[in-house]
Amino acid sequence: MKALLLSLLLLPLSALAQAPVIQISGANFRPLPLAVPAPLSVDEGGKKLANDFDEPFLFDLRASGLFQVLDRASFTADPKEGVTAGSINFSRWADVGAESIVKVQLGAEGGTLRGELRLFNVGTGREDFKASHAVPTSEPRQLAHFLADALYRHLTREPSPFLSRITFVRKAGSNRDIFVADWDGTNARALTSGGIHLLPALGPDGLVAYTSYRKGRPDLYAQRPGEEASALVQNGQMATGVAFSPDGKRIAYALSQGESTQLYVANADGSAPKRLTDTPFGINSSPSWSPDGKRIAFVSNRGGSPQIYVMNADGSNPRRLTFQGNYNQTPDWSPRGDLIAFTARDERNAFDLFSVEVETGKITRLTQDQGNNEEPVFSPNGRLILFTSTRDGTPRLYVMTKEGTNQLPLPMDKGGGLTPDWAP
Amino acid sequence: MGMGGGNKGQSRVTMSEINVTPMVDVMLVLLIIFMVTAPLIQQGVKVNLPEAKATPVEAADKKLVLSIDAGRRVFIGDAEVALDELEKKLAANAKAQADKEVYLHADRDVPYGVVVEVMAAAQRAGITNVGMITDPTAGAAASKGSKKEAKR
Repeated sequence: MKALLLSLLLLPLSALAQAPVIQISGANFRPLPLAVPAPLSVDEGGKKLANDFDEPFLFDLRASGLFQVLDRASFTADPKEGVTAGSINFSRWADVGAESIVKVQLGAEGGTLRGELRLFNVGTGREDFKASHAVPTSEPRQLAHFLADALYRHLTREPSPFLSRITFVRKAGSNRDIFVADWDGTNARALTSGGIHLLPALGPDGLVAYTSYRKGRPDLYAQRPGEEASALVQNGQMATGVAFSPDGKRIAYALSQGESTQLYVANADGSAPKRLTDTPFGINSSPSWSPDGKRIAFVSNRGGSPQIYVMNADGSNPRRLTFQGNYNQTPDWSPRGDLIAFTARDERNAFDLFSVEVETGKITRLTQDQGNNEEPVFSPNGRLILFTSTRDGTPRLYVMTKEGTNQLPLPMDKGGGLTPDWAP
Repeated sequence: MGMGGGNKGQSRVTMSEINVTPMVDVMLVLLIIFMVTAPLIQQGVKVNLPEAKATPVEAADKKLVLSIDAGRRVFIGDAEVALDELEKKLAANAKAQADKEVYLHADRDVPYGVVVEVMAAAQRAGITNVGMITDPTAGAAASKGSKKEAKR
């Protein structure tokens, strides 16, 4: 009897602990009005690094799509206000429209930067959540991403995109080099130096596969940062569009031979290739794996124009998914499984992003009237989409929610980026 | 398509519609002003409210309160702000911008000119509705005109 009572008491509590604080899906979603005052520093070292922490921290929260990050210019609270519930004047935060406050306190000592984050509920006047983390003083951005991730996990019970990595191509003169960077495009390191390297794919364990002209014709290579490249596929006239399976054990790619381009699947080291498509004169390209690794989305012109198709990972049962537009390409399958994002050329010859529901074929427009928008790729948690846009002139990387809202440029330098890929 | 061609022809004819742009300009300088009773609103700032015989509007939820005390100091909530910073603070304020409404809580001895300056700053910040907080102890006699439109 006692045990029953106890379990009855515990059940709702544990259920409560698992339920997300912010329910992102659904029509009732409204970004949480969040006040994020400038971080407080307990010492000189913390003060020096406060800006380097603050910028990426604010960008993570803004780009997440979860929050309406309030303008600091409106704040009426004392900037030196403390970081405990007792010292906070909650009515002043309510006056600027905040429903929650995030306060961060920084301290640097002996080469270590320590940050402590607290989340307060303005309505109840209570502290809801606390997290702390320490990094070397050279890595204030990593501290920002880590604390933003802790907050995101607390509110959604899901991993955030803030600790993930992206890869992209950068143009410099006649060179096209592959870069690997933090999720926000900063901290970018060149993987290749000189020559033409295209269409990188990031594996789950940090391995980057890409198309390279280092032997004069496009072949596939794989490389880890700081290591030498190894050849993956070196046959056919052209090998492109490599994509890792979600478990990282297999690759899919397109190989041109004669008058057709066909899709292949091979082991991650390029061994045991198997052909998936067989259209005598057609082009099949741009494979993207479903999150369970059982299906592959791709582009094919077998119906006359480039369209998005889905087939089983062994090549069986191909099915056309898009029936609107006459130029649909670069599909990316959401890690949540339900959506495929793609680029379409519309009636005015502008490229824009769309998503299609895998089961129903329902198409949603994500971008419009802002330059050309291409090459969508989902975040590892499936909430955000990274893409290339020419809205500011040169192609640069942008991020938005999977619904197409909250479109922001990545805070990276002017070099811009093309054909991004995103991995945990 | 036939309709489209017809429209194209007509577009060269003299425009006979009313030009609404000047009217929109006039609308934009209007502030909607109404009376609010005090007991619903508890403020940290000490203010001697004017008494007024007007049917008050019930303050349904908490709106942002601007106070002006007898010393002509301006407050957002209970935080003092300089008058020349008020517009910037209100323009950035998510609550005021969502409501487009603030309550004005001014001492009865504050000169009219100061009150107007605060209202003008609010209006420039995009606030369209201003509730004047009054002291209800005088007894709100039933008289009409609780909602007035005043041109600034």
